[in-house]
Parts: sequence; C-alpha cells; structure tokens
Amino acid sequence: MRRIVCTFVVNGVTRELLVETNALLSEVLQDDLGLKGVHVGCGTGDCGACTVLVDGLPVLSCSTLAVTVRGKEITTVEGMANGTKLHPLQESFIEHGALQCGYCTPGMLLASKRLLEINPSPSRQDIKDALAGHLCRCTGYNKIVDAVMAAAEGEE
Amino acid sequence: MILPGFEYRKAASVAEAIAFYNDFQGKARYLAGGTDLMPLLKYRLSTPAAVVDLKGIQELGAISADHGWLTIGANVTLFDLKNDPVVKEYFPVLCQSLEATSCETLQMRGTIGGNLLQDTRCIEYNKTMEWRTARGFCLKMGGETCNVVPHSRICLSNYCSDNALSLIALSAEVSLAGPEGDKTTGLEKIFSGCGSRVFALGPGEILTRIRIPMEKSRGVYEKLRVRNSIDYPLAAVAVAMRQNGARVCVGGVGPAPRVYDLTGTDAGSVRDGAQKAYTDARAVPNSTLSPTYRRKMVRALFRRAVNKILSEGK
Repeated sequence: MRRIVCTFVVNGVTRELLVETNALLSEVLQDDLGLKGVHVGCGTGDCGACTVLVDGLPVLSCSTLAVTVRGKEITTVEGMANGTKLHPLQESFIEHGALQCGYCTPGMLLASKRLLEINPSPSRQDIKDALAGHLCRCTGYNKIVDAVMAAAEGEE
Repeated sequence: MILPGFEYRKAASVAEAIAFYNDFQGKARYLAGGTDLMPLLKYRLSTPAAVVDLKGIQELGAISADHGWLTIGANVTLFDLKNDPVVKEYFPVLCQSLEATSCETLQMRGTIGGNLLQDTRCIEYNKTMEWRTARGFCLKMGGETCNVVPHSRICLSNYCSDNALSLIALSAEVSLAGPEGDKTTGLEKIFSGCGSRVFALGPGEILTRIRIPMEKSRGVYEKLRVRNSIDYPLAAVAVAMRQNGARVCVGGVGPAPRVYDLTGTDAGSVRDGAQKAYTDARAVPNSTLSPTYRRKMVRALFRRAVNKILSEGK
C-alpha cells in the first residue's frame, strides 16, 4: 500500500503528513495528530459523532478517506475555542445542560456552528433539520436545540 | 472499523478515470461522496484493488438548463441539488425526495450519481464479515442460496434510492461513459432486476449526467420509514404529473423500481393503478418491517400520493 504526502490545515495550523491511501480522516486526526475530540461512534455514517468541518462543511470523518481532503481546511472541536475562551455555542451547551456523556457533543457543536454561519437566526425546525444526522442517547435533544437557539439569540 | 488495503487514484477527467479502471484490470471501484461505498468497504462487502476518486472531475459538478433539458452533473451533491431554484420550481417531487434522503450532513457529502448507483440493501447482507461468515454467504455474496427466502434463485434485496424514483417519474435520462463508448438511456433501463447484480451497466461505466425534460410538473413523494431522518425507504412512491398524464414510480421493495403510467386520474384509474402496484410488489422479510405491511403500504402510498396531487390541483 502506498503512502501519500498530504497537507491539511487543521484548526488553522498547516500540517504535512505521510498518509496511507486507505486511512480514514478520523484515524489521521486521532492517531497522527492526537485530536481526541474526534469521536467515532458507529463507523458507518449513521450517528454523526465523528463530524468535523472540511472547508466549513460538516463531513463524517469516519467515512471519509484522508487523501480525498488533501489541502483542505479542517476544523475539529478543539479548534472552536479561542485559547481558554470557549466558543459561544460551547458556553451555551454547558449553560443549558445540553450534554451528559459528551460523546455526541463534538459533532453536535460543529454541525451547529456551520448552521449558525449560514443561518444566524434559525427556527427550532431548522436546528432539528441540521442536527438530524446526529444521534444523542442522553439528552432527548430538547436541551441541545435550546442551547443552539440561545447561542443564536446571544449572537444577534 | 479499519478499511482493507487498496490503492488510491484521483481522476481529473472521465477519460482518466476509465484509464485508471483499466489499469487495475477492472478491480477498481469509483468513489464520489463515499457515503454508500465506505460502509461497504468497511464491511468487506466490496474489496477493490483500487479506489478511483471522481470528485476532482470539475465538468461533472454543474447544473445547467438549456435546449429544453435540465442537465445535472453526477458530482452535484444532494444538498446543492435540493436548493437549486429550477428544481424547486419545476420538479417538486425531486425536491421532496432529496429532502427525504438521509440527513443534511450526508446530503452535503453524497452526490446524485452515487445516490442512483447505490447498492441494494438487505437485513442479511449489510452485516460484518464475521456475522456473514457465521450465517453462510447468500446469493449476493456469491453463495448458493438466499438467506431470506430459502431456495430462491434470485436476490430480492431492496434498492433504496429515494431520488431514482422521483427522477424516473420525471422521465429522466442518464448519460453513461465507459471503455466501450458513451450512451444515453432512460434511468429505469439501467436496472437488471436482480439484486445480486443491481445494474445492467458495462464494466467500468461511469454515470456522468442526468437530464430531465424541462416541463413544469406537480409532484409528491411518499416514503415509509420508521424515523424521520437518516433511514432508507421501506417502501416509497414518487408521482409526477404533467400535461399529458401522471407517471408513478414505486421503490424500496425489491431490486428495481417499477413504473406505472396512469392513463386517467379518476378514482377508478388510481385504484386500479394502486392495486397493480400492490400485486407487482414482491416484498420479502429482508427489512425491519413485515413484508405484508410493506406491500399494503405500497398500495396506500400510491393512492395517497396521487390523491394529494389531485386535491392540491383543485
């Protein structure tokens, strides 16, 4: 199996790596770059926990070959906070108790971040649509929707 | 799950993709969005020597309207297609089926070409290698018998594309490019009718474009599902109504969609059409709902979809 030299801009930092042709984006982010905030749940694209942003669009890192996103800008949950200051969405999730075990949270946060970028004042239904591909077995979703609503209102 | 080993090639043109396919003596798979292929690779349901990435082919990423056709490149994502103003205005049935496909995250990744050429699904097939080895390989895996219907000679796994149904109802055509040359054919003609080899495509053929006649239509897509997102259809009906009549496409049950052209829209014709769809539907216990229920729902969804359009038109 061949290895290919790949450049990624991960959370604003340019990283150059040797990547195997069959390596998943989630494997590269977790194992090679140590970004443990990438949570792999089902591994088959059903749960949305492994979502990262590639050029601003949510992508399931467990179902994406790392070589296919060469040269692109990748944002993981680690890239949301600015130093020690949390992103307003992260603050809102804590405020509203929108996480319990926290396994789905990185995917929820990143998908919500993208939603608020294109639609700064979403309805509850817009949020539900954007987060439809993200499973949470703890919260029952209401608190997550509350948290995104509150973050959107806070930013206006 | 760790992927098996394979080579990776990124094609910049359709011709280059076919050349890569030939380089690997046909043991290559084409990759677009990957939402269908990646789980198949992980489950070892497909073990290619190489994956040929089609996402870099710029010419397949555009939507254009001219000469009375809307032409959609196979690389257009479901999300972009859903938000296209022409699709919204002219083809409501396609808009609804795109909306009903999986969830927004996957719609942004999955392409229309990949959605049409997705593999069929079965409760006994989409399982891990260990599970399938213990159970014994079925017809679709190269085994001797079907694990759902013992002694069946044909695989009846379900074709689960939402958008194929609405595109067939809209009389869409597809362009194919392959080592043997290019051709254009009706979308409903690319199916073999057998679940173990779903498509009647030649080796190495690539679906490049889909085109729909630019004629305003009314349409409804009805889908039987257990959740309101992510899941595949357990039975589905798409109806497109134009000046010259209604075309209904039934899917989610069996390895190929079925087409019904309604001659009239009176209550009798609709009832007869729905009854015919019910009679034709060969549902077997290969999904999460019972085959009897899914078959009855084909009839119910058929009538519901047509009647919805008729009542909206009043």
